[in-house]
Amino acid sequence: MKPESYIWIENLRKRYKHAKADAVHQLSLGIDQAEIFGLLGPNGAGKTTTISILCQQLTATSGSFYVNGHHYQHDKEKIKKIIGVVPQDIALYPQLTAYENLKFFGNLYGLKGKILKSYIHRHLERFGLLDRVNDRIEDYSGGMKRRINLIAGILHKPQIIFLDEPTVGIDVQSKTVIIEYLKELNKKGTTIVYTSHHMEEAEQFCSRIAILDQGRIIENGSPAQLIESYETCQSLEDIFLHLTGRKLRD
Amino acid sequence: MWLKFKASIQKEFLLLIRDKAGLAILFIMPMALVLIMTLLQDSSFKAIGEKQLPLLIVNHDADTFGLRIIEGLKSSQFFKVVEEIEGQKLDEKALVKQVEDGNFQIGIVIHPQATHAIRESVKRKIQGQFPDDELFALDPTMTQVPAKVDIFFDPVTKQSFKQVIISALRQYASMVEANIMFSIYAQMFNDLLGVSVSMDEEFGSMVVFDQQYASTLKSNTIPNSAQHNVPAWTIFAMFFIVIPLASNIIKERDSGLERRLRTLPGSYSAILVGKTMVYFIIGLLQAVSMLLMGVFVLPYFDMPSLNIGNAYAPLLLITIAVSLAATSYGILLGTVATSHEQSSIFGAISVVILAAIGGVWVPTFMMNDLMKQVSQLSPLNWGLNGYYDVFLRSAAIEDVFQYLLLLMAFMLSCLVATFAYNRLKRKT
Repeated sequence: MKPESYIWIENLRKRYKHAKADAVHQLSLGIDQAEIFGLLGPNGAGKTTTISILCQQLTATSGSFYVNGHHYQHDKEKIKKIIGVVPQDIALYPQLTAYENLKFFGNLYGLKGKILKSYIHRHLERFGLLDRVNDRIEDYSGGMKRRINLIAGILHKPQIIFLDEPTVGIDVQSKTVIIEYLKELNKKGTTIVYTSHHMEEAEQFCSRIAILDQGRIIENGSPAQLIESYETCQSLEDIFLHLTGRKLRD
Repeated sequence: MWLKFKASIQKEFLLLIRDKAGLAILFIMPMALVLIMTLLQDSSFKAIGEKQLPLLIVNHDADTFGLRIIEGLKSSQFFKVVEEIEGQKLDEKALVKQVEDGNFQIGIVIHPQATHAIRESVKRKIQGQFPDDELFALDPTMTQVPAKVDIFFDPVTKQSFKQVIISALRQYASMVEANIMFSIYAQMFNDLLGVSVSMDEEFGSMVVFDQQYASTLKSNTIPNSAQHNVPAWTIFAMFFIVIPLASNIIKERDSGLERRLRTLPGSYSAILVGKTMVYFIIGLLQAVSMLLMGVFVLPYFDMPSLNIGNAYAPLLLITIAVSLAATSYGILLGTVATSHEQSSIFGAISVVILAAIGGVWVPTFMMNDLMKQVSQLSPLNWGLNGYYDVFLRSAAIEDVFQYLLLLMAFMLSCLVATFAYNRLKRKT
């Protein structure tokens, strides 16, 4: 079947070894180019698993997906070259400086020399970290680490960015800088797929969202459309609670 | 690919030089280990060979036998004869007390009239040869009293020490008996035939024992304890690289770095190979530093210097193969282990077991048949045998080829297992 969207997911299913239920169950979804797409859901809903499969960290149990027309199995390398991944963990080397970390990741994306230096310089300047370029990551604050974590995933100017809770645990200032920069990238045509627990942030940031629960999409649409369609709900958070319930999740 | 590989090497190098404790573990501790273990093993080695064993002696026989024993023991390279403690001559009671207290492992008491008893015993034997001749008639007043020597051992004394001392005493007794016998026969010749017979030198040195090391290979290297201990403990220390390497891999996995690296273009193997390369070079540097220590530092500790011979190419190849085997084992361990605790405990114990069965602690020739067979399964044994061939026999590359092949097969097995495990893990 020919992909109908920029990111086209068909019946994606993932069951972990020894698990009693699917982490992602028959998930089908289309994400258009230059969209900011939010995957929302309570803990264990399958957000991170979905993103991990899309960025080739995990292998799906069944189903398939296409990214910019590239098949997930046959064109792995082509997909990897056009995506940038910003994981939820601060996946950086604490003993290395910001520059050394970014140089390492830049090299792995094939960047080198003056181009790499200028990219690093530009991003550090944009995120207010230029004066700390030679400090080790272990000496950074949580917000600074989160910003470097973001830069390491977008340094090579990917067409699609997968962000797994990029603003978790940071102050409002850092969060604002990150969101504003991602919006700028999106305006230039970058497709963004992101997960978050911040409903307010998702409501303002995303052009479209999907709410996941128990590995299934239970709602899908733009935040404005969704708020309009649920008469009793005033916000995305209200809809989220309405759909997923108030029971605690682990 | 090359850029990814280079970046990985640079990153690992930076991480290593920033981790001072890690560097100490990688270099100072293995060198200390090799030095300490070589010193310990050397003293144990010398205990049955080169080191002089202190020996307490109380001699009540101021005649040939007693004097000959003391003279023989003193001239022996194995024993250091002690007849006085703090300027005081010992008696039998004091000697037993010293041994009992563990101050000495062996004490010898030569009883009075020992030489006289031997002389009488020899005379009796000679007279027994000529029962009908009046000249050699047995003196009915002669009573047969054996020469007596008491030997006191500390309970912890090794059986080998006991055998050495008893053999030495038997040898001296035989020599004394032979000399006495000769002097009696000489006296008889003189009395009966008027022929004067004299002995220019004592018995005991009529056979020349020419000691040589069996080898079909050309080697001028004289084996010593350093030739055994330094390579053995060097390999042991090199294999301990599995712990920091496995820890590095687990740290990368736990921090989410591995998952991130897997999303990047190109194979993750290039990053792993870069990491392997750095630790492989560390392994080589470890080997070089430890072997140099064997050559230059050991003599400062009153130990023989390691003679590395002149088979440099086989030496380099064996060192490379051992380092690759150790590194690949570390990668497998880091991939399979689920925690730092698991990797460090399993890593350390498995290396100790491989070393034990591989002949690092106890040479394989001292093992029973079953353990000798088992020892051939240990990569440390392959490396050790390779080093022995290089250091002791100046082996050529073809002589150590089988060990190189085994070590490379071990490395490939580890890497294939790592690759397979990673694939399986990503699917599940």
